[in-house]
Amino acid sequence: MAANGVDIDGKNAAPPVSTAAVLKQSITMPEGAQKVEDLNFDDFAGRSMTVEDLINNTSSMGFQASSIGEAVRIINEMRAWRCPETGQKTTIFLGYTSNLISSGLRGVFRYLVQHKHVSAVVTSAGGIEEDLIKCIGDTYMGNFNMPGASLRAQGLNRIGNLLVPNKNYCAFEDWVVPILDAMLEEQEASKGTEDEINWTPSKVIHRLGKEINDERSVCYWAYKNDIPIFCPALMDGSFGDMTYFHTFKSSPLQLKIDIVQDIRRINTLGVFAKRAGMIILGGGVIKHHIANACLMRNGAESAVYINTNQEFDGSDAGASTDEAVSWGKIKAGASSIKASTACFPMIVAATFAKPESDAKDANKPSESEKATAS
Amino acid sequence: MADDAQHEHTFDSAGDAGASATFPMQCSALRKNGFVCIKNRPCKIVDMSTSKTGKHGHAKVHLVAIDIFTGKKLEELCPSTHNMDVPNVTRKEYQLLDVSEDGFLSLMADDGETREDVKVPEGDVGEKIDKLFTTDEKDTNVIVLTAMGEQLAIEAKEAPRG
Repeated sequence: MAANGVDIDGKNAAPPVSTAAVLKQSITMPEGAQKVEDLNFDDFAGRSMTVEDLINNTSSMGFQASSIGEAVRIINEMRAWRCPETGQKTTIFLGYTSNLISSGLRGVFRYLVQHKHVSAVVTSAGGIEEDLIKCIGDTYMGNFNMPGASLRAQGLNRIGNLLVPNKNYCAFEDWVVPILDAMLEEQEASKGTEDEINWTPSKVIHRLGKEINDERSVCYWAYKNDIPIFCPALMDGSFGDMTYFHTFKSSPLQLKIDIVQDIRRINTLGVFAKRAGMIILGGGVIKHHIANACLMRNGAESAVYINTNQEFDGSDAGASTDEAVSWGKIKAGASSIKASTACFPMIVAATFAKPESDAKDANKPSESEKATAS
Repeated sequence: MADDAQHEHTFDSAGDAGASATFPMQCSALRKNGFVCIKNRPCKIVDMSTSKTGKHGHAKVHLVAIDIFTGKKLEELCPSTHNMDVPNVTRKEYQLLDVSEDGFLSLMADDGETREDVKVPEGDVGEKIDKLFTTDEKDTNVIVLTAMGEQLAIEAKEAPRG
């Protein structure tokens, strides 16, 4: 029928409705639109490619590669910023989950804390105790498919494809119990004095960092550099087990740990920051605790989420940065991105681990300390 | 270590009774219905459970026990390889000779041992002694529990004849 554009005379013309649908005219791409770029290893012939080369050349590849590039850009922006009036830097909150401390990423976090690249850390219970335990006993490579029952029989605990022997926890118990005794004694001795000791998770972690006295430990460097490590769920692990056992030993006295004073401390950091940046690896309490502290200042100015959690179930762990914008945890118009954990060492290599003067968009790298590893 | 200090403390309280008031026993060897010292009090174990070595550290024994003198419930948690003190608890039957004005029992054992350091207990046992001995004027025997320098009359009954 003529209405359908079919030529009943058999002439070979495409129906106009189809041509109109398929050959829809495109708009002119706006000026400065980023083209997808190919990575060309030949450009690096005769020399090794650096991490920075790689990231610069993959940021226009698309998909996750672009997210890594964007994370690097945002973090370099955090680093370069200075308050025009006071010269103060961005207050950077670093968050990571326990499993990442069990992994080799611990060394990356240690580096960031040792060189004062972050202002505060938030982690979960294992993020504290596994850091300390690694100074006492080793964690080993296993695989994801090792059967639980036979591992239990061998006294091995599995974290993904890592294994932690039970004896590490026994050694941890022997190390930590006398410290709990001492903290309780100090708490009791200070009662009724002017400097009454009110333990908080961050103060306990500061003390544990001092006691472990080991340069491989994140907690040690946080103690050294007076960088607070917040852990609202400090009781949710082996340290909590030890504290539980300790209550029997110490009865009728009991160690008291105050979480109210810590919420005040972290929120104060958020509220009075000149500019706030979030770098959060993983989800759960650690992610929300930082976002919530930034909510108190009407949102962070920049955020890098590093996780592969999905949004389907509505849990905050998988929430996008845009969900945080709706709550006021990230400012509208702030730079934010979500990438995956495996790339974090690359991101750090291309940001914190390079000399600050190299940061391309650094406006004033004046009082900057050299960020090279010692 | 603090643990050792705790043990020493217990031995100090052994007093001058010839035999020691307590003896050490490995925690894992303790059994339900047996005796144990918790917070330096002689107790009878009413419940216990053990947890194997794990994320929480060394294997542990969790004890729930009743103070044999006060009836107060006490809890203790101890690494299973550690020693705990076990009180020497003796249970002995005496013939009741008299009840003093200030509420002490005058007692004599079969072997001729006499003691006047046991009070008329409060509660049912005290009432029973009063009824049997004072009201009904029966020959009365009293069972006394002794541990760690303390004693308590835990039962009274009419003495068997003959």
